[in-house]
Amino acid sequence: MIKSLVAAIAAVSLSFSVVAAIKVDAEAPQFSLQNSQGEMVSLADYKGKHVILEWTNHLCPYVMKHYESDNMQSLQRKYTDQDIVWLSIISSAPGKQGYVDADKANQLTSERNATPTHVLFDPEGTVGKLYAAKTTPHMYIIDPQGELKYAGGIDSIKSANPADIPKAINYVNASFDALLSGQEIDKKLTPPYGCSIKYKS
Amino acid sequence: MVSRLQKFIISVGGALLLMLSTIVHSQSEVESKLVLGDSARAPHITVSLISEMTHLRPGETNYIGVLLEPDPEWHTYWRNPGDSGEPPVINMSANADIEFGEIQWPIPQAIPIAHLVNYGYEGANLLMLPVSVSQSLTAQEVSITADLSWLVCKEDCIPGYATLDIELPVGESNSTSQYATLFEQTRGLLPVKQWRAGKFEINQESIVVSVSEFEQARIGTAQVWTLFPFRSDIAQHADAQQVVVDGESLSVIVPRSLYFDGEAENLQWLLSNGVVGFYLDTANNLSAINSDSEPQSLSIAALAVFVGMAFLGGLILNLMPCVLPVLSIKAIGLQNIEQRQSIKFAYLTGVLACFNVFALLIIGLQAGGQQVGWGFQMQEPVVVVLLSFLFTFIALVLFDALDVGSRLAGVGESLISGKGWSSNFFTGVLAVIVASPCTAPFMAAALGVALVSEPLVTLLLFNALAVGFALPLTLMYLSPRLKNILPKPGNWMVTFKRVLAFPMLATVAWLCWVYAGQTSSQAQFGLLIALLVFSMCLWLLGQLDTFAARGAAAFVALCSIAVPIYLGATSLTSGNSQQVVADHVKSYSQALLDELKSDNTVVVVNMTADWCITCKVNEHVAFSDPQVMALLKSDSVEYVVGDWTNKNQSILNYLKQYERAGVPLYVIYAGDQHVQVLPQILTPTIIINAINQARKELTND
Repeated sequence: MIKSLVAAIAAVSLSFSVVAAIKVDAEAPQFSLQNSQGEMVSLADYKGKHVILEWTNHLCPYVMKHYESDNMQSLQRKYTDQDIVWLSIISSAPGKQGYVDADKANQLTSERNATPTHVLFDPEGTVGKLYAAKTTPHMYIIDPQGELKYAGGIDSIKSANPADIPKAINYVNASFDALLSGQEIDKKLTPPYGCSIKYKS
Repeated sequence: MVSRLQKFIISVGGALLLMLSTIVHSQSEVESKLVLGDSARAPHITVSLISEMTHLRPGETNYIGVLLEPDPEWHTYWRNPGDSGEPPVINMSANADIEFGEIQWPIPQAIPIAHLVNYGYEGANLLMLPVSVSQSLTAQEVSITADLSWLVCKEDCIPGYATLDIELPVGESNSTSQYATLFEQTRGLLPVKQWRAGKFEINQESIVVSVSEFEQARIGTAQVWTLFPFRSDIAQHADAQQVVVDGESLSVIVPRSLYFDGEAENLQWLLSNGVVGFYLDTANNLSAINSDSEPQSLSIAALAVFVGMAFLGGLILNLMPCVLPVLSIKAIGLQNIEQRQSIKFAYLTGVLACFNVFALLIIGLQAGGQQVGWGFQMQEPVVVVLLSFLFTFIALVLFDALDVGSRLAGVGESLISGKGWSSNFFTGVLAVIVASPCTAPFMAAALGVALVSEPLVTLLLFNALAVGFALPLTLMYLSPRLKNILPKPGNWMVTFKRVLAFPMLATVAWLCWVYAGQTSSQAQFGLLIALLVFSMCLWLLGQLDTFAARGAAAFVALCSIAVPIYLGATSLTSGNSQQVVADHVKSYSQALLDELKSDNTVVVVNMTADWCITCKVNEHVAFSDPQVMALLKSDSVEYVVGDWTNKNQSILNYLKQYERAGVPLYVIYAGDQHVQVLPQILTPTIIINAINQARKELTND
């Protein structure tokens, strides 16, 4: 009885965490997830480095916009070359759009010439909800001290049309330009756009 | 967010549209190629470009439309798609010079998709566009092209693009196409054309939007209303909105998005109950308030204008009935008298000194947290009483009712028409005092600005007013030529003087009326009797011979002043209770709060303002709850209200303690040991729980 009550409270607090405010300039929530090589990867492993989180779903037209145009890959190349960690996270639940197994994930990475540091699986959606991730893509930047510095959209133009990419302000670039030159990021929180993340519930 | 009934209505509407369009569709393909432009089939959706009329009529507004027909359970989007998704984008062009208006969006529905909410249309939806064709169009036929992109979603989304053409003949024909009914049907789904104005406030976790004089608020229950924001980044679309209806004013508490930085001057919304929709253009309540009463920095040009207005206002003040008599006597008395240079400026100095004292008083009171305006002195019955005696006294002097030999008459005479430096100085002071009940045109605006500006600007404007006010008489002091314009002294002066007594008495009558408003008609009668006794005693002063009798008369005269002051003070306390402040409500001061806290009681602090929409919503929803009211009235709870309607420093300091820059702020104390800041949006339960929690904290220790 008491156990089920505790479970109920836990469930309530979890459902609350969906809308839990994700705070920039505060410590980024810790997590550990399995990568496409079957290893556990923790955010704590990368203390001392900048970390970029990218929520993804390869079938989402908005994700396709940025992969088919090589926009996402060129960002990955640009930042992983600078020893910045890039984690692509898939929160699609099994049976829903964007859910992939490890082999398929590796295949997608090589097919698309993507270079994330790791592709991570979050089929339960816990990490996605911990970060209040809403859409694919949804981008986060964490600094070497473990503080969340940016959360939001990949760029400023909300569309699935690749032709808009050159016209948009890329928020990942804008944030890193500011971060690496020691300035305050102009827009730390922006509305993400894209497909809804296909959570388990 | 949307009730089941509304969903039903909308889906029935949608289904009707769908049925209709499919019927018409199949017909049109056979019968007429003209009104049906291209139709494209894309995954999960069919899109078509259609026209209401068979012809484009020059000089009139024609309607064409993009018909979106998604598969069952799939949807397209409104102008703001909500948490995800994308509105259709239509770029219109034509081979002739015609103008396209904006998309007429039908009222959308809130569509929950997993953890998100989208705004859009399930089923067929027609996006109408007005097309204006000029009278001078010569072409026989026009080809219109719609470049269309859309997103169609169930849980997954598929974007699509199409270019659709339609060719329409130009002509006066009024014949309708097969789609006319569909257009007519869609018009029924559009929001009301006229925009309504409203206000909004941004709180930490919510945006409160309010619209008043909204008669539809009376229809049905409050919760049927939903606000659809035009901007997708300001609201947490998936969280429930709370609607509060109070008579004809409707307020909606919209959960604020994490991504909204809170900077907005204006926000646009669609307010709908699923059947009708109203567009709202709302202005930030805070910026409206700021421009009203926060110290503003005036541009130099604006400042110059106000200085000019103050100066002119001062000039005109000389002609006001309360001032003119005093100054006329003075001016006439000036003739043929040569004065030393210093005396010529004594009057100006008196006026300047008096206005500056006023200005400093106002600045001081404002810094102390009181909001005062010109005329604030008139809000004090004591001042009104003293002024009425002063004007009566001046009238008596003008009537020569005081015996010339008496010392009092001498005081009166020298005040008004004395020759020395000090008497001229005091004429200036007196002139300002008698001018204080009067407001001249131009003066009001300039003073209004002065009272909400920085101290320096306040001083500057008051001095401009003073210079304007003192100028006419000072010029007469300085220039013998001006003096010569005045008529020669003679017997007429006595008559003139007595005539001038009447405006003085008129002012007294007005002051008595003001006093009656502040107190009661009985008190006013007391004042009138006191004025009568006062006048009689002053007259007696001149008539009586013995020192004792004269002393008695002077004593009674003074007593007569005290009576109405006493009456004013007593009736004012009873008048206070009329100001809605209930017994159990204490008005905030830091000292009071400290005292209550040290008494080990539960203290509820409510920082509010008349203009604050959120505060009103909370007062309506939470504070007027019978249980909450009973708790606040109970002996163990002290209820302290701070009114920030006219912003002041002491409440601002309190707000700053809690890192707030504005109201509402609700704090509950349990003595000194426990503090809880309540959310900006309250429910009765939140207050009750917090009070009970605070009570526990007190009993625990």
